[in-house]
Amino acid sequence: MPPRPVEKHVHPRGIFSRFKGNLEAIAIGVKYFFDPKRSTLIYPKEYIKLREGYRGFIVLVKNKCISCSSCARICPAAAMKMVKVPVTDPKTGKQRIKKFPVINYNRCIFCGYCVDVCPTEALYHVPYHDIVYESMEEAVTDLESFQKEPEYKTAKEGLPVRYIVDEVKGLVKIRVKKEGGEKK
Amino acid sequence: MSGIVRGTVGFNDLKLPGAWTRKIGKDLYEVFIGPQHPGSGHMRIIIRVDGDIIVEAEPDMGYVHRTMEKLSEVRTWIKSIPLFERMAIHDACNVTLPYVRAVEKLLGIEAPERAKYLRVLLCEINRIAAFLYGFGIFGVFLGHSTMYMWPFGDREVWVELAEWLTGARLTHTYPVFGGVRRDVPAGFTDALRKAIRYMRRRLEDYRKIFVDNPVIRSRLEGVGYIPRNLAIELGITGPNLRASGVKYDVRMNHPYEVYDQLDFEIPVFQEGDAYARVLQRVEEIKQSLRILEQVADWLDKHERSPILHDRFWKTAPPLYKKVFQEQGRAKLMAVYAILKVPKGKAYERGETARGEISYYVESDGKNTPYRVRIHSASARNALVYKYILPGHRVMDLPAIYGSIDYFPPEADR
Amino acid sequence: MTGWVEAIIKIIEWPPLWQLVVLGLIAPLAVVIYILWFERKTAARVQRRIGPYHVSPRIAGGLQLLADLIRYSFQEVIIPKTVDKAAFISAPLIALILSILPVVAIPFTDVPKWFPLPMDYSLILALALVTLSPLFIIVAGWASNNKFAIIGGMREAYLIVSYEIIAILSFLAATAMTGTYNLVDIVHAQTGWKWFIVLNPLAFFTAFVGVLLSTSGFPFEIAESEHEVVAGAFTEYSGLMYGINMGAAYLKRMIYSLLLTVVFLGGWYPLKPGEGFIWGYLAPSIVIFIKATILMMIFSFFRAVYGRYRLDQAIEIAWKILFPLTVIAFGLGLLEAYYGII
Ligand code: SF4
Ligand code: SF4
Repeated sequence: MPPRPVEKHVHPRGIFSRFKGNLEAIAIGVKYFFDPKRSTLIYPKEYIKLREGYRGFIVLVKNKCISCSSCARICPAAAMKMVKVPVTDPKTGKQRIKKFPVINYNRCIFCGYCVDVCPTEALYHVPYHDIVYESMEEAVTDLESFQKEPEYKTAKEGLPVRYIVDEVKGLVKIRVKKEGGEKK
Repeated sequence: MSGIVRGTVGFNDLKLPGAWTRKIGKDLYEVFIGPQHPGSGHMRIIIRVDGDIIVEAEPDMGYVHRTMEKLSEVRTWIKSIPLFERMAIHDACNVTLPYVRAVEKLLGIEAPERAKYLRVLLCEINRIAAFLYGFGIFGVFLGHSTMYMWPFGDREVWVELAEWLTGARLTHTYPVFGGVRRDVPAGFTDALRKAIRYMRRRLEDYRKIFVDNPVIRSRLEGVGYIPRNLAIELGITGPNLRASGVKYDVRMNHPYEVYDQLDFEIPVFQEGDAYARVLQRVEEIKQSLRILEQVADWLDKHERSPILHDRFWKTAPPLYKKVFQEQGRAKLMAVYAILKVPKGKAYERGETARGEISYYVESDGKNTPYRVRIHSASARNALVYKYILPGHRVMDLPAIYGSIDYFPPEADR
Repeated sequence: MTGWVEAIIKIIEWPPLWQLVVLGLIAPLAVVIYILWFERKTAARVQRRIGPYHVSPRIAGGLQLLADLIRYSFQEVIIPKTVDKAAFISAPLIALILSILPVVAIPFTDVPKWFPLPMDYSLILALALVTLSPLFIIVAGWASNNKFAIIGGMREAYLIVSYEIIAILSFLAATAMTGTYNLVDIVHAQTGWKWFIVLNPLAFFTAFVGVLLSTSGFPFEIAESEHEVVAGAFTEYSGLMYGINMGAAYLKRMIYSLLLTVVFLGGWYPLKPGEGFIWGYLAPSIVIFIKATILMMIFSFFRAVYGRYRLDQAIEIAWKILFPLTVIAFGLGLLEAYYGII
């Protein structure tokens, strides 16, 4: 059945509903006072271990890259730039100039276009996002640092947790292992 | 007091705009609400008060203008999707979808059915999250701090689901020309169903603490009344329009994607005051939950199938297909970066959480748009302040501001 | 040596000092700090948050308020050029003093030796003193020379007119019941669990709401309502001055709670003041403070449940609902006195 309009009306209220409304409001307040069902993340003592597929920081696998420049071309923020590096061809042993992408995290908006457009899966996301740079310059990677997964300091200090959706509590925090799957 | 319409009584004999303001000249007290005021968004409302009554109000928008329309003209087609998303990042799928559809129209393609369902899925998740966001802001405007924290906390459930689906909490950049970027992960629909049941439960809590709370009812009933003809005249859209008794919803009147195959209602309230607008949003959340249930059922029944249009997907190399099968990620073809869109004009609209958004897209056959014109819901709704604030008390301002659910970045573009 | 110790104890025990400094300032301040923490924690629990935590995780963020206090005291106090300096600086201080002054008229024991003042008209005196401090909030708003501050001050002025009569009249219901203005006699009339909250719940209710109205408690937090008038009359204040302003409101609520305790909640009962300083003065005042703190906690809880009324609605409630109720409560008190229930 296609969408259809349904007319609704505001229920008028009388003295009784006013009284009832006050009682209900206080009652629900008291209920949550005694059973808050909270799910606050105590960051950085705990941190969320994000799922695979999260669009976090980006890493280049250099030997997969075919220098097609698609990633730099599609980048909406102009964060991805191609740099020219001299390489020796393994077969012929000749010197030639090859282009590789580097990323500027000051500009990147983590849209993931570059990862999705790369024809050889030479780029991938790491599933974390909370990394602090001390200066603007640090956030600009060069070819070396772009190939390394950025250091995830939070994971060293905190406990990994994950939120799962629950019918009664909304989000429930569960402890997970640092690596791999969920902990019992 | 003749000629002044008070917030609480006598709102039935409103005349047309301008008829109920009166000027007292020198005795007026001018107060600038915003742009750094805790009760305004990124906007300013200049009000002139006579005693406690507002006699004039001027919404002054444009504090977060980012020249989006112009910027889009120097970017290739696909790059504008993340750009337009920044209008309302918590409503990202809804605000970008009409643009994507307009370009699809020019390209002469349509998304596969599965992609359509996925778009609806994210649109409704976004819509609920945006409504909850609006409730939170509204709650704190009325001094109800619990109604500030609760919807923001519950919005997290939907944001979490959206993150699982798309890989980003807010700026999903999910729909692309010809489809969407990711398929549902395993176990997603179960979590979605749990979230739906949870939300239904929570709406009952909201009713108790906020919607039926006598304090809140007193604050909202009869306040900020927008008569039906004024709403139509000013071109107000979305829940605000429907709360004034106009049966208009883009999803119903100009159905897009698979909305015409889904079974849901468009609630329409007759009262037109701030309280009706609150109830309107509560009802719309209920309907969105209904849509999500149907989408979840559909997704469970159907196997994973391509989510990009054939025109693109048939060029996909085996690696792409492998990634799609294993991770549900539809990789983009290199052609997306340099896509040329055939000459032509297209107009598309969609229903965002705050109302109708429409895109006029013109292409002259190059790889950038010739012109993209956006008419967003908040820009249309913002006008209403000028006409309904006069006659109300100063303390009604946050109530009215919040009930319209105005979102400055969306209006200013 | 012992002479010195005795002398110091004498000075501390001297009723005006004990009453004003210890019971009027230090103890309420401690309670207010606890209540501020409690209020934040309660709101956090109801709102499914944790609230203050990181300052002292072991005791659930209990030191957060002290940390805030320290921060406030070291913050620069900005005095804008456009303000009326003398009034701007003195208004919050006078308001603070005036809001703790009523404590001199509240008896914490029935041993006349420990009364700071003669108690014969103490109820009238306490009520008179308690209603003085809002005037200086209006002064503060006016002196600030800021539109929001002036609007906030005006709102306070509107509210004074409406709540004062309710608060005073509902407290006076106790006088109607006992025929005396002497708070000690009023407490004595409540022996044997004949607390006036039981005998005249209506008066307690109106007094309770009157206190909420007068101390900007939710749902009547109107004069400082952040989303219309920034911080009301205190918009231009910063640092310690702002802290004083906010603290004064809570201190005032504390004094009101003490008054409510004495008039409606049986004062120091079930304890009976005995001999000596400890049993005659300290213990009864502790009982009164505990009762008042519980009242304060109930006041705080409303923050989590209610939004705020509109100014005209608050005034409407005060005049159209509470005022008649107060009159009825007064009449109820008279009736009870007539039939000798008291
Ligand atoms: S994630 Fe987006 S913004 Fe960042 S480098 Fe890739 S394409 Fe550019
Ligand atoms: S798209 Fe992939 S293969 Fe092409 S340049 Fe970028 S990283 Fe290299």
